[in-house]
Amino acid sequence: MAAEPPGVIGKGISIRGNLSGGGDLIIEGSVEGQIALKNHLTIEETGVVQADIEAERLTIKGEASGNIVASERVAILTNAKVMGDIKAPVVVIEDGAGFKGNIDMDVKLPDGIL
Amino acid sequence: MADSNTVVGESILIKGNLEGDEDLTVQGHIEGSIQLHKTLIIEPGGVVKAEVSVANAVVSGIMVGNLLASDSVELTETGRMVGDIRAPRVIINEGALFRGQVDMGDLEMPRPSTGVKPSYRPAPRRMEPTRPRLEPVARPAPKPAPPKAAPPPKAPPKPARPEPTKVVKPPKAVGSKKKVVVKKKR
Amino acid sequence: MANVIGRSIVIDGEISGDEDLVIQGTVKGKISLKESLYVENSGVVEADIDTQNVEISGSVTGNILASEKVELKSDGRMVGDIKAPRILIADGAVFKGNVDMDR
Repeated sequence: MAAEPPGVIGKGISIRGNLSGGGDLIIEGSVEGQIALKNHLTIEETGVVQADIEAERLTIKGEASGNIVASERVAILTNAKVMGDIKAPVVVIEDGAGFKGNIDMDVKLPDGIL
Repeated sequence: MADSNTVVGESILIKGNLEGDEDLTVQGHIEGSIQLHKTLIIEPGGVVKAEVSVANAVVSGIMVGNLLASDSVELTETGRMVGDIRAPRVIINEGALFRGQVDMGDLEMPRPSTGVKPSYRPAPRRMEPTRPRLEPVARPAPKPAPPKAAPPPKAPPKPARPEPTKVVKPPKAVGSKKKVVVKKKR
Repeated sequence: MANVIGRSIVIDGEISGDEDLVIQGTVKGKISLKESLYVENSGVVEADIDTQNVEISGSVTGNILASEKVELKSDGRMVGDIKAPRILIADGAVFKGNVDMDR
């Protein structure tokens, strides 16, 4: 894989609309609309995202509202605030994070439990 | 008295309503409902299929049902849960599996107002970490995940998840003998 | 950290802000900035642009309103109208549209 430096949407930038593509992306500013990325999206502490998000991996340190679908992993770190539904094979919520919504990790329980 | 602890051993199955005022460690099966003012610990191999209302819950086994905690809920790396969680603090560790709703109370979400000068946010608001940490469980404090989602080096290589039928007896909680004390059972 | 819309990113919508912005990918819609916009070689912009400065090495379709300067570099391509107090068009640049340098 080409090690392209991640794209950055800085603190002073606001985007309203659809954001899509490959490559890693770091959001420090605000995005409202829809995000569909093939790779890793990081929402930094200052980032505010109000969008449905599709990505391979998602790391949230700031604020996000909207529904999230990740093919690999979603991590909600301390001090992050997230509202919406999450579907991903791995979801991690750190102590101190805020979350409200549904999580679907496709849990398989042994027979006879449900 | 403060540290009295009930252990439901691995061969025990309880059906019904369980209420109490002390910590409860589950290595066996409980079906029905649980109301505690203290901490519920579901160990690997333990299965709880119940409506649960507690102060704290640590799930390393299987939990099916809704879980209401006045303080915190933690799913450890071996924890599996299907149901809804309501608690001010919810921690899901890497490796845990969960399906259901999580409600940590109202989050104030400032709306991003694009087009307006984005410096309108004076400082990112923080969830105050005022709540006390869990103490009843002797285990390493949750480490902050690495900033990038690279395979976390800190996580010890997970052994194949233990089958719920065989219990790995943790040396700490059990003490010497396995006692089964169920108080106030209705 | 500089704002970079990377090569493989596509944005369809509005971008606004008060920082410099570098576009290597594709932006359709509208861009309004208080600072400078750089459209690099790989950058494709189909948008109306309202900024202080614009430097174009890629391709821009749309109208530009700049409070200071618009510079179309030698490999830049631009279709649309430009209104700015200073406009530089390098040898080799491709441009189609109106230029207005009125202050």
